[in-house]
Parts: sequence; structure tokens; C-alpha cells
Amino acid sequence: MKNLFKPEMLKILVGVLTFVLILKLLWFVAQIVWLSPLDIDQEEDQSSKALYYRVKLTPNNIVAPQKVVKQPVKKIVGSIKELKLLAIYNATDISVVTVEYRAKSKVLGSGDMINGFTLEGAGGNYAIFSKDDKNYKVMLSKNGKASSSTSSIREVPKEKIQTIEKKALGEVTNEGDIKIIDRSLLEHYAENMEDIYKNIGISEMKEGNHLKGFKINFVRKDSPFAKLGIRRNDVIKSINGQEIKSYNAAFAVYKNIKNVDNLSLVIMRGKEEMELEYEIN
Amino acid sequence: MQMVKKGALIFMAVWFGVLLFMPKAELYYTLEKTLAKQDIKLNEKSIDEGLFSLTLKDVTVYMKGIALAHIEELDFFTILFYSSLDVYNLEVDEALHTKMPALTKEASFSHGISAPLIVSIDANGTFGMVEGEMNIMDKKVHIDFVKVENIGMIQPYLKKGKKGWFYEKSF
Repeated sequence: MKNLFKPEMLKILVGVLTFVLILKLLWFVAQIVWLSPLDIDQEEDQSSKALYYRVKLTPNNIVAPQKVVKQPVKKIVGSIKELKLLAIYNATDISVVTVEYRAKSKVLGSGDMINGFTLEGAGGNYAIFSKDDKNYKVMLSKNGKASSSTSSIREVPKEKIQTIEKKALGEVTNEGDIKIIDRSLLEHYAENMEDIYKNIGISEMKEGNHLKGFKINFVRKDSPFAKLGIRRNDVIKSINGQEIKSYNAAFAVYKNIKNVDNLSLVIMRGKEEMELEYEIN
Repeated sequence: MQMVKKGALIFMAVWFGVLLFMPKAELYYTLEKTLAKQDIKLNEKSIDEGLFSLTLKDVTVYMKGIALAHIEELDFFTILFYSSLDVYNLEVDEALHTKMPALTKEASFSHGISAPLIVSIDANGTFGMVEGEMNIMDKKVHIDFVKVENIGMIQPYLKKGKKGWFYEKSF
């Protein structure tokens, strides 16, 4: 007991305590000045919900009477030689060409039809038209004076027109008013996310810190996305009823996309809200 | 000799005191704050402060609000001269299984004063077993695949050398 209260021992004790106090104080100052006192956690996204599915609501297995609409058979007549390519305008998302047909000039965009031929796309000095699963290349007329006979027209294999990159399986096809997406195409994009960004540019649209939706910056022409009817500057607001107001919601859609039988996109085009519907086959 | 002894004692006391009073949880929150600026957030079920360590359990890794991975345990250990970060059972989201290995059973990152510019990396999982290092000076990561298992999804990012597959990237 006597030893403990020796002035020397007390001095050491006081020294140690002072040292501990200084260290603690230094850390305390560092904590106040530089360190964060609060845990930053990600808030659970409550907006994310499962995609909705269309279900058959009939109470039994009786097949609902289906309205058979007879599609008028369009008589497609005419020759590609009747088209004269006068001008081409190529943008990142669309191709516009001017053609002369029966002494009248007409401006066509991708997908427009003339004389039974559909404009598929355009290159630097040519345009590609399709008819009955065959593609036709029409060369640009010299100074617009060349007649249809001087326009070089030849059938080209379809694969030449398509992109050099690995092509996704399946297509987007039009069945009357309904667009049908091949399931294999959907599966391809679900497994190869990088292929999506080769064909479509998407960026977030924010209002302050809140995500409002995803904006389409470009759509590669002839890509399946262009065939979906999505255009540059469209803003995707929801997919299958799921509001796309967070990355988590978008990711939830991406994760379930292989299991859906139809797709419904709500987009803002300018000030107009539109709903695009597709079936998956 | 007495002076050396006294100096060593003071040094040991400072070293021990610094580690003992280090606000480990707050340092981790500061790291979280820095990561949050990059839209990366960590949600953990528990934080345990040890004398020289910090252990996080059931950590969910979010990137831009998306839960991309789950880590069963994350151990940070430091005695200043040597520090290590051990990751146990890192599972990535099912949707990303085609992009990266599904499970990393154990990953260890360590840094010692003997090689201050090198961070050693060891890991094993569904991809096999890897060893490598990160050179802070050269800003380069080199990882050798010692044992190869399921690397199909990451193969495009790998190169093949004399010793086998390796990953190399500058940052």
C-alpha cells in the first residue's frame, strides 16, 4: 500500500492516465471533425413489385368465341425498278429517303411502304427495301436525273444488311396491330446485357435526387428496339405496371423479363403519355 | 539502453492506445459515406468492434439501389503494421451469374509494412482458386488462377500465360 502511493508511482500513474486521455481526446476530435457518426444504409425499395401478368378470367375451359377478322389481302403489284432514289438522310436513329415513284417524289422513313416495298434502311448511297422476305438495294441516282433503269437494283442476301455484330436470335414481327416479340430474342438480351447497349442508349432522368424514368438517347435503326416503336427522347415510365422510378425497379423487370408473356411499356413522348403493348411468343 | 527501452515502451503504449481507442465503427461509417458517393451502399445486420478488428455480418451490397451481392461475414483486422480484410461467402445475385462467379467462399486482402505498396489477394470459390497482388505504385492488379473451375463467364476478361489463366488490369 505504501509502495502504491509512492510519489514516483503516482507520477507514472498520472502520466499514463494523461496519455490515455490525450489519445482518447485526439480520436474524439478526429471523430467530430472527419469521421461520420452515422451508418448509411440503403432504404428498401417498396415501389418494386412483381410484374403483372394477363390471366385468363373465363371460369371454365370453354374457349371464348373469337372474332375472326378477315384481313383484306393486299394486292402488291409493281416493280422495284419503278423507284428512283433521289436523296438519303441518315441519322443515328432513323433513315429517311426521298424516292420518285410514278413521277411523284415521296419522302419515306424506315418501315414505310411504297409500291409494295418496305424501306428497311439506308446506307451512304443506297437504300434497302424489302418485299416477300427478299431485300432489294436501290442505288442513289446520279444528280437525281437517272431513270429507274440506271438505278442499280439488285437482290442482296439479308444477312449482308444486318449488323456485323453477333445477331440476336428471333425478331419483332407485326401481326396487324400487335407487335410480337420472339421469346428467344428476349432471352438473348436477358443473358447478354451488353448487346442491349449496342442497340439502344438509355440514361437516367432525374428531378433533383429522384429518378423520374429512363430516357432513350438513341435507337439503332434496324435493331429489334427500333421495331418495337421506341424512339429517341422517349422516357420509359413503367414496364408491365411496374413504375420505373429506381434502378432496383428496372433491375426487377430485367430479372423477370424471361418469364413474362406480354410486355406493356408506358412512355412519355414529348408531353404525351403512350402505352406500347407487345406479345411474347 | 535505458533510453531505448523507454522509447520502445512509449512506442508500444502509443501503438496500443491508438488501436484501442480507434473509433472503428465510425471509420467504417466514413468508408460507407465515401462509397455512397459512388452509389454503393452496404447494409449490415451487425457491427462488432474488437480490440484490433471490426466484424460485419450479413452484409448486402447495393449498387445504385440494386442488391447485387450478399456477404455472410466481413472481417477487418489491423495492427497498423499489418492489416487484412477477409470476406466470407460472397454470393452475387442470380441475375448476374452469367456475368461473374456465383460464389466466393473466401477472399483475403492483406497489407504489410514489409511491402507497403503491395496488397496481396487470395480467394477461392466457384471459379477455383486465385492468388495475386495489387500494386499501388504501378496501379496494376495481377491475379493468377492457381486452380481453375467454372470461369466461363469471366474468360473474356482473362489472358492465358505460361502458368495458366490470369487477370491483369491497370486502374
